[in-house]
Amino acid sequence: MTVVTSEMNVGERLDQIAASRRRKLRFLQLTPIALLYFAGLVLPYLLLLRMSFNEYDAMLIFKETFSWSNYSKLLTDEFYLKIVAETIGLGLAVTLATLILGYPVAWVIVRSKPRTKSLILAAVLSPLLINLVVRTYGWITILGDNGLLNNWIMAWGISDTPLPFSDNFWTVVMGLAHVTLPFMVLSLVSVMESLPANIIEASENLGASTWRIFKDIIWPLTWPGVGAGSILVFSFSISAFVTPALLGGGRVSTISTLIYEQFTFSVNWPLGSALVFLLLAMNMVVILLHSQLFKQDHG
Amino acid sequence: MGKFFLNTSTFLVLFWLLGPLIVIVGGSFTETPQVIFPPEGFTLKWYEQLMGRSDFLESFIDSLVLASIATTFAVFLGTITAVGLSHDKFVGREVFRAFLMSPLILPTIVTGVALFQFSRIIGLSSNLVGLAIGHTLITLPYVIRTVGAALVNLDPALAEAAESLGARPSRVLLQVIMPAIAPAILVSVIFAFIISFDQVTISIFLTGPDIMTLPIRIYTYIEFAIDPMVAAVSTLLILFSYMLIVGLEKIFGLGRVFGGKS
Repeated sequence: MTVVTSEMNVGERLDQIAASRRRKLRFLQLTPIALLYFAGLVLPYLLLLRMSFNEYDAMLIFKETFSWSNYSKLLTDEFYLKIVAETIGLGLAVTLATLILGYPVAWVIVRSKPRTKSLILAAVLSPLLINLVVRTYGWITILGDNGLLNNWIMAWGISDTPLPFSDNFWTVVMGLAHVTLPFMVLSLVSVMESLPANIIEASENLGASTWRIFKDIIWPLTWPGVGAGSILVFSFSISAFVTPALLGGGRVSTISTLIYEQFTFSVNWPLGSALVFLLLAMNMVVILLHSQLFKQDHG
Repeated sequence: MGKFFLNTSTFLVLFWLLGPLIVIVGGSFTETPQVIFPPEGFTLKWYEQLMGRSDFLESFIDSLVLASIATTFAVFLGTITAVGLSHDKFVGREVFRAFLMSPLILPTIVTGVALFQFSRIIGLSSNLVGLAIGHTLITLPYVIRTVGAALVNLDPALAEAAESLGARPSRVLLQVIMPAIAPAILVSVIFAFIISFDQVTISIFLTGPDIMTLPIRIYTYIEFAIDPMVAAVSTLLILFSYMLIVGLEKIFGLGRVFGGKS
């Protein structure tokens, strides 16, 4: 504690009083949200963690105990391992798709005149404003067995029976790519904006081919944006629920749809909770992997 | 050749992005019992049918009520929090800020499940309370970030000047800081409202017989039937969020809202 001496000037004392007043005020301002987060987030998550060590009981829903049985089941049973693999595969496929689709779009956005630029950007972002269920419904009307695409195909006589565009893994990939593309494009645009234009001109003047300019210059320089966009898209895709549940038509299982089933139809909370922490662990690994891979880029 | 490839692929991607929306809006006016595109004839019967569905109307009101509650809480609490974080640095401030942003990073399905199980275990009887907490948590990070960004851009000399002129902290807050960050607060209100109104994943676990939000109503409906009535309600929803954003644009300009560079 500082002893206030006569040498201390008035200004300093006033500052001290103001600072302690601000500290008190800050405490008052931050306590309510801390309480809400504790009650609405920390406590429910801790309960979920505790639940994952309980055991399923047909009568009581769960039996209080402490065992790793749920986790060992998830990591050894082939049924669950297949779903984990399918979830990861889904994430990779969506990431790759958004990268391939988003890269040229981001490039065109960065290279356009301001008016065209904001127009394309608005078009890319506009699906974000549409409710997820509504967008998924849009795809069902297009791709379903009675959907637009199949109506056209049968009207033109390409096929007599509806083609299986819906309710499979690739429908879900497409639906998720549709949802996540804006994130990828925004990540790419933000790095491409800072790309010096004269680099490309210089390499053109030196006679480099378009492919070479892309491979040796543009791609490495936009790598941080590729990384940032990919991690966003991948994490979103492996955790998504609505799109796989509706577009998969019950035939595509991911960790998320399995969690939903465990908590609603099967009422196996312990196993569902263990699945939750498996999903969180996967997200964590992705974030760590990303920070390892892209550490050098930030010097 | 390179340019042609780029422009064509951009055009195709934009077409793919907007395709489902065009089909929904167009299909909602079709006279056929299925959504077809281009629509056959023109009718408003699906909208009429929708107006006769009291369950959809109730869900719309439920969604409005819930979004209003969540927005009020989130904007009130989020603004206070952003102000609290903007004072002097303190130990653990960045960790605390990251903690407050966590509902954005944590998978929404997990937060939904966590709240679902928690409310069952403590025997919460009202679904509205659980939904309100969930929606407030999910919208708070946006409010804290938007208002926080406005506070960073605020000249600290303003508050200091008021303080040194003898204004109490509460007066500094209400009469100096608040008016300066009012636009950011208004943006937060609209953002929080849209996010809550559109929220599906958390709601799916927490809705019950007493309250069912509109997106969940549509969700459960299309699991069984797909008819142009859903296209009609979807079109109205698209129009609704479009109007909110146009309102935002009219007031502030889209570039600023998205923190844009354009």
